[in-house]
Amino acid sequence: MATTEKTELSILSEIGRISNSSAGLPKKLHRIVEVVALGMGKDGASVFLIDRSGKTVTLAAAIGLHQEAVGKMSFPIGMGIAGWVAEQKVPLALEDPYSDPRFAYVPESGIEKFTSLVAAPIMDQDECLGVIFALSSAVWRAASSEITLLTTAANQISGVIRNARMFQDIQDRLAALATIYEIGLALTSTLDLEPLLALIARNSTQSLRAQGCTIRLMNLPEIASHNTFSSYSIVGDVISEMDARFGGIVMERVVREKNPILIQDTTRDPVLADGCGVAAASIISVPLLFRDKVIGVITLYNKEEGRPFTEDDLQFLATVASGAAVAVENAAMYERMEDLAIEARARAQELSILYDIGTAMSATLDLDRLLRIILTAATMGGSGLGFNRALLLLTNERTNTLQGMMGVGPTSWEEAGRAWSEVSNSHKSLMEWIQTGALFERRDSALNTLAKGIRVSLLPKEEVLALTVLNKKPYNVTDAAGDPLVSPELRDTLKVNSFATVPLIAKDRVIGVILVDNMFTQRLITEVDIRFLNLFAHQAALAIENAIIHTNLETMNRDIRAMHKQLVQSEKMAALGAMMAEITHEIRNPLVSIGGFTRRLAKKLRDAEDKKYIDIILGEVARLEGIIHDNLSYIKELAPRLEEGDINDILGEILTLYEDEFAERRIHVERDFSPSLPRLMIDAQQIKQGLINLLKNAMEAMENGGALSIRSYSAPETREAAIEIGDTGPGISDKARQNIFNPYYTTKPRGTGLGLSITNRIVKAHKGRIELRNRESGGSIFTIKLPFPENKST
Amino acid sequence: MKKILVVDDEENIRALYKEELTEMGYDVIAVHDGVQALAEMDKMKFDLVTLDMRMKEMDGIETLRKMKGKDAALPVIISTAYEEYKHDFGSWCSDAYVVKSSDLSLLRDTVKKILG
Repeated sequence: MATTEKTELSILSEIGRISNSSAGLPKKLHRIVEVVALGMGKDGASVFLIDRSGKTVTLAAAIGLHQEAVGKMSFPIGMGIAGWVAEQKVPLALEDPYSDPRFAYVPESGIEKFTSLVAAPIMDQDECLGVIFALSSAVWRAASSEITLLTTAANQISGVIRNARMFQDIQDRLAALATIYEIGLALTSTLDLEPLLALIARNSTQSLRAQGCTIRLMNLPEIASHNTFSSYSIVGDVISEMDARFGGIVMERVVREKNPILIQDTTRDPVLADGCGVAAASIISVPLLFRDKVIGVITLYNKEEGRPFTEDDLQFLATVASGAAVAVENAAMYERMEDLAIEARARAQELSILYDIGTAMSATLDLDRLLRIILTAATMGGSGLGFNRALLLLTNERTNTLQGMMGVGPTSWEEAGRAWSEVSNSHKSLMEWIQTGALFERRDSALNTLAKGIRVSLLPKEEVLALTVLNKKPYNVTDAAGDPLVSPELRDTLKVNSFATVPLIAKDRVIGVILVDNMFTQRLITEVDIRFLNLFAHQAALAIENAIIHTNLETMNRDIRAMHKQLVQSEKMAALGAMMAEITHEIRNPLVSIGGFTRRLAKKLRDAEDKKYIDIILGEVARLEGIIHDNLSYIKELAPRLEEGDINDILGEILTLYEDEFAERRIHVERDFSPSLPRLMIDAQQIKQGLINLLKNAMEAMENGGALSIRSYSAPETREAAIEIGDTGPGISDKARQNIFNPYYTTKPRGTGLGLSITNRIVKAHKGRIELRNRESGGSIFTIKLPFPENKST
Repeated sequence: MKKILVVDDEENIRALYKEELTEMGYDVIAVHDGVQALAEMDKMKFDLVTLDMRMKEMDGIETLRKMKGKDAALPVIISTAYEEYKHDFGSWCSDAYVVKSSDLSLLRDTVKKILG
């Protein structure tokens, strides 16, 4: 007995010493089974531990068994001797275990060389942590004291295991914290979304020793990358298959519940049970939450070693996910910020260019210089808009046309290359170009001539330049050849297949159009270009409007001064004329009497001497009459003073003059001026007077309002320009028609009867003719036809 | 015998024209302004009128318009010291325009041409 007690004490003190050593649990257990086998005088001993799932016991250390079996030999709880003892939590001694029904033989474990055994549960309070065996190759009927000794040793071991497990837990937790910290560091190391997602996937997979991971981001408007999908797998295709089968369903569940999900075994899940041929899996999936909104889901598949995921794993992944969510949102936000920053930079650059151009444009009020600055800004790279060529057209309200004014840009590749390298080498701003005056040196470039040749009528029609004005909006023509809006003339003039037009709008009125193209670089004109060009055009339009107003003021000022001078001159002349008329009247009549009666007297005289005196008198009378005639020759003739003039301009002026009266009389004006009318040799003042007479006649014919049609057209077959003035009045009777051009003939109670005869005289003096016809629909039409200039081939 | 009405506010001119035209074989009545001229036209029918432009009562243009209103077919020769009336639109409906001259041959020729 004393020996047994002594042995017992030495075994327990040895176990106590081992448990306080710094070795790890496997080493400690190995030392403990050595001590137990030695102390009990047996040739074998072993320890099985119940794993954390509580479902199996696994060999953790052994003496006398094959060491390869350690960590591999295991039984479910309740199976085998170890399983039975772990379940029943009572010791068991078997002299012949092989005949016991509870025994389960495990080949190549080395158990076959033993004959008898004793097993005791390793208890910690009420929980069983494992089983300890003492093994004997000799037949061994164990005494109760020996069973008690093993049980006591087992109790001592429980402390070792518990401490080791607690230590392991702490180690694991520290490791998890370290991992989370590392992931946190990693998450802040990149702001690019794609690498970030890959990093999260890889770290999560490795930390939890999973086989694969997928991350999906929700298609949320505030996340720049839609449906971003990232996966990391250390097994490959198997995980891809699993994810294809389970990923969507699990994600949907996580998003709906906004909570992590742990699925230990898909075959035991009501929805996922049918794997459709995909291997069973253990899955944990957690939402990426940002401000209580699910922005994505991270899902892990299958732990290594075939074990299911645990609550601890889920907790760990949730912790990682909370950091990851912030990082993902940051990355997404950064992406948005970058986009915004790029846009802001572009805006700032545009503004700076517009500012430069604005400054340049405000530097002059001279229209010609201003147009050149505008077009240069449109064609300059760097501080300008950078188009290859730019043309400027202005509207003419009188003739209702759009007229090309100026073009800036190279005419050939060689010239383009030279000009652009000059610009880029000099690094001059637009303002500097203007100050050096280099812009204004070459005025008659081929493009300028080309621009001046463009003239488009602004009647409503499907033509791109007219539409730019009429619809007040830009047009981006990408295929001129196939675009029905581009007239063949314009195509032939420009010789490019893509160009853009923008209206110049000042005070809600279209004053012109800018046309740009990239003839040489062939760079496509983008919507961004158009938007910028439009901003620019708006600014340019205001500057042009100012310059035009300024020019008009100057012209008006000059005209007024000239008129004043003329007025002074004509007043003098009028005074002189009046005086001359008086003198003429007063002198001519007496001269007629003197001369007339002297002639009569001469007829009666026979004396030659007397006749000589009479002749002297008659001679002097003739001389005085001659002096009077010469002095009166300054009085001007009716013959027209012919100068080159534009009929459409004159018509426009007249219509403007009577605008108010038309409105007052409720007369609607329909104008149709031919833009191809040649310039005629006319006395503009007389023609204007003649047309006004016709116009007044037409207005008086429409007492209750009506439609006045003014038309100009060219009749090349008779080489005549025609002007039609039509009314919707009662028309002209046959009787009136015969007399209508005779002076003093009138059908109106207060008419003078001179208007139409004056018009007739004026037209005849221009070698033209006047025609009159009644319309079938009522009203009459007067047509004036004036001949084309002699030596012009149009 | 064809009747000619001479209208002129200068007494001497009236006398000269009357003598000259009478000598040519016409029956001449001379008055000194438009009002009298129109009154004479109411009394009898004339074949020709010579009409001065600047007169005290009713000027030539006005007289001419009224004469043509009474008898549009009556030939009227404007006889005036003013060359510029030739360019006045109002004078265009006259049948001839003769600037007064001491040499009456142009007047004689014009009268002969119109009266045949």
